[in-house]
Amino acid sequence: MSWWRRLLKRGEMERHLDAELRFHFDGLVADNVRAGMSEPDARRSARLEFGGVEQVKEECRDARGTRWAEDLWQDLHFALRTLRKTPGFAIAVIGTLALGIGMNTAIFSVVNTVLLKPVHAPEPDRVVTFIATNSGGSTSSLASDIKFNLWREQTSVFEDVSGYFLSPLDLTGIDQPQRAEAIFITKDYFRLFGLPIAQGRGFTDEEERPTGTKLFEKGHVVVLSDAFWKRVFDGDPKMVGKVISLGGDPYQVVGIMASGAQTETAESPDVWVPLLIHPNSERQVHYFQALGRLKPGVTFDKANAQLRLTTQEFRRKYPKSLSTSRGDTFSVQPMQDVLVGDVRASLLILACAVGVVLLIACANVANLLLVKAAGRRREIAMRVAMGAARGRIIRQLLTESVLLAMAGVALGLALGVAGIHALLALNPVDLPRIGQNGSNVALDWRVFVFTILAGLTTGLVFGLIPALQASRADLNSNLKESSGRTGSGLHQNRTRSLLVIAEMSMALVLLIGAALLIRTLIALCSVNPGFDAHNVVTTRTTLDPRFTKAPGVNQLVQNALGRLNALSGVESAGLTGLLPLAGPFSSLPVIVVGRALDGPSHGNSSYGQVSADYFETLKIPLLRGRTFTDADRLESPQVAIINQAMARHFWPDGDPLNSQIQIARGLPGLEEPVRQIVGIVGDVHDDALTRNTLPALFVPVAQRPDARTVGSSVAWVVRVHAESPSLNSAIQNELREATGLPVPSLRSMEEIVAKSTARQNLNMLLMNIFGGSALLLAAIGIYGLIAYSVQQRTQEIGIRMALGAQPGAIRSMVLVQGVWLALIGVAVGIAAAFGLTRLLTSLLFGVQPRDPLVFVAVPVLLAAVALLACYLPARRATQINPLEALRWE
Amino acid sequence: MTQPKSDLPQGTLDLLILKVVTLGPIHGYAIAQRIQQISRDVLQVQQGSLYPALHRLENRGLLAAEWKDSETGRQAKFYRLTAKGQTELKSETESWKQLAKAVRLILESSEANG
Repeated sequence: MSWWRRLLKRGEMERHLDAELRFHFDGLVADNVRAGMSEPDARRSARLEFGGVEQVKEECRDARGTRWAEDLWQDLHFALRTLRKTPGFAIAVIGTLALGIGMNTAIFSVVNTVLLKPVHAPEPDRVVTFIATNSGGSTSSLASDIKFNLWREQTSVFEDVSGYFLSPLDLTGIDQPQRAEAIFITKDYFRLFGLPIAQGRGFTDEEERPTGTKLFEKGHVVVLSDAFWKRVFDGDPKMVGKVISLGGDPYQVVGIMASGAQTETAESPDVWVPLLIHPNSERQVHYFQALGRLKPGVTFDKANAQLRLTTQEFRRKYPKSLSTSRGDTFSVQPMQDVLVGDVRASLLILACAVGVVLLIACANVANLLLVKAAGRRREIAMRVAMGAARGRIIRQLLTESVLLAMAGVALGLALGVAGIHALLALNPVDLPRIGQNGSNVALDWRVFVFTILAGLTTGLVFGLIPALQASRADLNSNLKESSGRTGSGLHQNRTRSLLVIAEMSMALVLLIGAALLIRTLIALCSVNPGFDAHNVVTTRTTLDPRFTKAPGVNQLVQNALGRLNALSGVESAGLTGLLPLAGPFSSLPVIVVGRALDGPSHGNSSYGQVSADYFETLKIPLLRGRTFTDADRLESPQVAIINQAMARHFWPDGDPLNSQIQIARGLPGLEEPVRQIVGIVGDVHDDALTRNTLPALFVPVAQRPDARTVGSSVAWVVRVHAESPSLNSAIQNELREATGLPVPSLRSMEEIVAKSTARQNLNMLLMNIFGGSALLLAAIGIYGLIAYSVQQRTQEIGIRMALGAQPGAIRSMVLVQGVWLALIGVAVGIAAAFGLTRLLTSLLFGVQPRDPLVFVAVPVLLAAVALLACYLPARRATQINPLEALRWE
Repeated sequence: MTQPKSDLPQGTLDLLILKVVTLGPIHGYAIAQRIQQISRDVLQVQQGSLYPALHRLENRGLLAAEWKDSETGRQAKFYRLTAKGQTELKSETESWKQLAKAVRLILESSEANG
């Protein structure tokens, strides 16, 4: 009979064993009778000879080899029965574990996707981003042609050095003109990321070399993404070789990317087009990013040493380079680090926070198991006294705690999966690398295995400790102790008290972190963005007169704004190259006419073209001078308006309104005419609300020749009386009709403002979920401990009351016990938080890491919750009936 | 039972059972009796060790069991030797004989006697 059959046919085996032994016994009796004994004598003699039947049976059962499985089954049954008798305990343990495991699984799955997963490239840890650090210490990953060419020449340390930037292109010449997300790349980009081209080929050397002298020359070949090819061209099998129109220029399709090809630099580009950089280019504009791969055997140190030499060469070669580049030092960083950027800090902190929640959860489970085991000491002593083997008892207690842990883990997994979905649904914010709608984030099995181990270990260790204690303990004292249980105060529950203190202090640290983030968000919400976002909608187009309905860009803009203003429901309409909160914008050098060129009062400024009524439309305050008017035309005197930051930075003492400036002097293709400053406007946050506004300079779009404006991307802003979907589509239609350009759907400016704080919002929300969970767990922990101690002291309390103690005195006796624990926990927590909150600095805004209000309010809150948690068992203590208490057990 | 009972050395019981069972299917009670008879009452097998040993041998696949009518007409569990049991019996008998021979050589050697 196989092992399995022996296990499953246990009943039959038992019957057979019975019959076999009975047959033997009857044989003995029969023989005895035959030998001349009377029937009763024969039986008695047989019984004597036979010995203990049960003992023989036990040994036969052992011989079956199925014993441990049967025991396990029995233990499981017993454990389930015990747990069903104490559902509160079971729910607390399982819930606590599930909470800890679920949160950790969810958060770490996101952390893994964003921070830890290597970039999608061959030899991912050797893929680097080129960085320029200026003399002020701030870094930029934007590159210019001259820098790029220099870097590309360092073939002893780098290979596949490639540049890229993202910019949408309008696809025309088909039924439904639409936007295509384009990525401009140099040809080695394909090899750098090992991108598989399914049909056709990538780019050749000739195709990425400019032929003319135009500033931004465009390529004439394109590789389509698999999805774009299928969506727009219905998967045309003869697509390679055909010509399509992108941004008004013809491009020949030379290749189609394999489906599922992943690129780390863009979410999902529709088309890959060549980025043309001439090897002898003198261009100093920073507009793309440069990547590369370290050659085999080259370390980061070696590569960076080489780049320092390159920096010197660069300065020698371009002694009159722009002030932006003058102090630059070049270096490389792992691409992954640059990609993740400042999300790293917040994700790491959230990961630590959620780890602390897991610790609290484990402490809570340990506490509950210890309390439970202590309550069963007498039961165990009784079983040992009746002959149960020690190993057997330990095994049984372990079965129970492991069963609990498994249930917690299972529920935790479910919570984790739900948590990931919730996190992504809530807000894929602008987390890098998570894919479209977070499709790259999946439950990570390593994370899950880790949390399972954490849960099981807690169950095993804290199930084992009391099991060992209880089974080893002196029977006599155990049986005796429980008959006269008095005064089992806190000194007898030292481990448990320590666990509760630890829980309280960890919870306090998390709560203080959460409170600081709440204050950050409040501070952010009170930041004045510098404009009025209410009832403003916006959309973005690329100005390209080749397929528009107006003779020139200016005419086009005038027509469109005129038609928008005429729409009913529209208050005013404007156009800008610097949409608030859409930055950071690249900057160009600005020179104040008449000042010495080496002086400190020159610098960089972002600059953009705006329509005359842009400032009025966004209600950006005019501080001095005037705004632009329709009189500022191409042929009239050239004017500019600056923001307050620029006024402060360039004219700390003087008056800007008397000054003339020139943008990009000496830069071919970028140089602007000298302009008179006519006004100063208030600062508008063009990047994040948390960052100070940088100098910005505005020029009238009407004063720029078409040659400059063609191909530039601008935002239309429209102030309406009341936002409505129908008005939005009316505006969209009007714009499309007036310009003939593809117009994306409108977005509300308020939404853009809200989105700019989305990351802080997410941080705050998650931290508060963690803090709240920690608070709940700590409250359960302290409640459990005090409730247990009240239960243990029932008899003592009964005696006290019988001797005349007032309920109030009893209540405060119990409360004091709990409050002490809470206070110690709070004190430790404050000390820890005092040291730790500094790590949060990068996530905070408008609040100090040691904000006094937070450090007072949060401990008070925690203490109050702890007091409440202790009050419940304290009240129960006063309701003890002395008579019953004395009879208890 | 005039002669003193002898305790069986470890593992010997298994060997005796296997040997007795070679004579044909036989139930537990008869095995005990057969061992007692053949050893002329020197070896008495206690039920307490007989049945666990039988079950152990059965689980190791050395014995096979079957419920059949016994000589008294009652159902009894009859054990018989499997092919695997046969091999085991042969090798165990061999090693037992060698052991016995070695023990006798030592016990009867003149040096030890002297």
